[in-house]
Amino acid sequence: MSTTTKMKKVNGTVLIERFTVGRRIEHIFVIAVFVMLVLTGFPQKFFDVSWSSRIIDFFGGVDRTRLIHRIFGLTFSVHALVHIGIIIVGVLSSRMRLSLLPTSADFRDLFATLRYYLGYQSDKPTYPKFDYRQKFEYLGIVLGGVVMVLTGLILLYPGWFAGFVPGQVIPASRVMHSNEALLAFLVLTIWHVYGSHFSPEVFPMDKTIFTGYIDEHELKERHQREYERLFPEKTGTTPEA
Amino acid sequence: MWSAKTIIAIALITSPLWISFKAGAQTNADCLACHGEKGQSVRFSDKSTRSVYVDRNHIKQSVHAAQLECTDCHRDITPSTHPSEKAKNPKYKDARDFSIQQANTCQRCHYAYYTRMLDSIHFETMKAGERSAPVCTDCHGSHDIKKPGTPRKEINERCGQCHSDIAKTFGKSVHGELLAAGSDDAPVCTDCHGAHSIIDPRKPGFKASSHQLCAKCHGDEKKMATYGLNTAVLSSYLDDFHGSSNLLFTKTTQASKSAIATCVDCHGTHDIQRFRGGETLSKDQMRERIVKTCRKCHEKVPAAFADAWLSHYPPTFKSAPLVWGVKWLYRIMIPLIMLGLVSHIILHLWRIKTGKFWRHL
Repeated sequence: MSTTTKMKKVNGTVLIERFTVGRRIEHIFVIAVFVMLVLTGFPQKFFDVSWSSRIIDFFGGVDRTRLIHRIFGLTFSVHALVHIGIIIVGVLSSRMRLSLLPTSADFRDLFATLRYYLGYQSDKPTYPKFDYRQKFEYLGIVLGGVVMVLTGLILLYPGWFAGFVPGQVIPASRVMHSNEALLAFLVLTIWHVYGSHFSPEVFPMDKTIFTGYIDEHELKERHQREYERLFPEKTGTTPEA
Repeated sequence: MWSAKTIIAIALITSPLWISFKAGAQTNADCLACHGEKGQSVRFSDKSTRSVYVDRNHIKQSVHAAQLECTDCHRDITPSTHPSEKAKNPKYKDARDFSIQQANTCQRCHYAYYTRMLDSIHFETMKAGERSAPVCTDCHGSHDIKKPGTPRKEINERCGQCHSDIAKTFGKSVHGELLAAGSDDAPVCTDCHGAHSIIDPRKPGFKASSHQLCAKCHGDEKKMATYGLNTAVLSSYLDDFHGSSNLLFTKTTQASKSAIATCVDCHGTHDIQRFRGGETLSKDQMRERIVKTCRKCHEKVPAAFADAWLSHYPPTFKSAPLVWGVKWLYRIMIPLIMLGLVSHIILHLWRIKTGKFWRHL
């Protein structure tokens, strides 16, 4: 997200930084919090199936499971606030560009990709720093996260919220919290795991988010427009904004 | 192995023993010759006495009439051991002591019921030294044992002999009135508390699972149709946070630290009345009544908190548009998104792995 891009040369290959150290730590942190929230939350959502009681007993009972869920939920909420805060400050001080914000180009990319998959277009589509699949995921976790934080807080303090929102918001939040969690879980286990593990382009694993660096060949292959932006002299193109 | 000869020899040698034992057994007529007449009494070691008169009709009408002889239960009575009023060392302290020890005899035939009773709060109380805690005969009777629950309301009368306050309260409840009217649908004490293995209802597990007791009847469509009552009470309760929490508590090992509302917290236990009170309440009056119930646990919540309770009917566009809307939003959104993502994945895989185009198929 930084406007200047760090690069280093290892064994003759140029590595381009994609995620700063902070972002890499953030990703590991989100994995841990998400796993804990799913483990303590899903047994509550699927309260009538047999494995839920076994997981709850593992955590030491319903009260303890809920306490853990709330601690991790609040941790996630604080993190979400900090994350969004950093973006706001970064953009306002113009030290950050919103490379993950969907633009009209992303919709064109989506349709171009589908046309290419179906054979109505012979050129392989090119993508910017983050392609539309990655942007969808990021936006999903940010917007989904905001939904989870808000509805979670309403469920944690229903009596206080009833002071200024209609009472019906409380059961609606419960339905929303539970369904949004399921959606997030499904998107993560299917879309994210495919995109970063099972997709033939990255199989068995795309390590960029952990190492922070992508090599120039992969960048050229998968994010050609970013490659052109970073190396205008090699591609002979004028850089994109 | 023993040969047939040995067995016959042993039988012959011991025959005087068992023949005399049989001869010593008394028939009911023998016993009633004296006990059927009033006037005789027995003295206990604390000097108290008790009449030993037995009403012949009680014996005749008892369920045991055809099966049991007096001595089947009064096993220690033989002509040589029969106690007399003048006995120097009476075996029992008092009449209650006799009843408590005599109740042990029932287990010889009714073993399953007896062992269940050992888990009950009544037996625990007895063990703790409370001699008035009931034994078999206190609920079932002794010489006049009848088939239990004939008529059903007699069960409540039995419990009411000790639990008189509760029996009185129950009598005024919707269930009590129905029972008094002679309905077979109305619950009696034992329907909720059990008969032999009555557990302490103050134990947290009893409360957490109590919704299952109510649901036995209130989830029964056939039974509820008679009274025009809603059978979605259990499913709607379980859809609610309270219900799913309590169900989890019944299925896991740790008990709840804080009481979570179950049927009885809003509707009452022995004093259950119609929630609407029989009259038609305005929406605001209903809300006031609901929030008053909420405040029993959720102190100082605003009146709007009442609307968080969606009633025992599933939310509809009219009754709870927001909840209904959110429910349907996800019901449509989740499958659509997943369908889109999965088809994208399949197209991608297929495109790279086969190198073919859909268009050229």
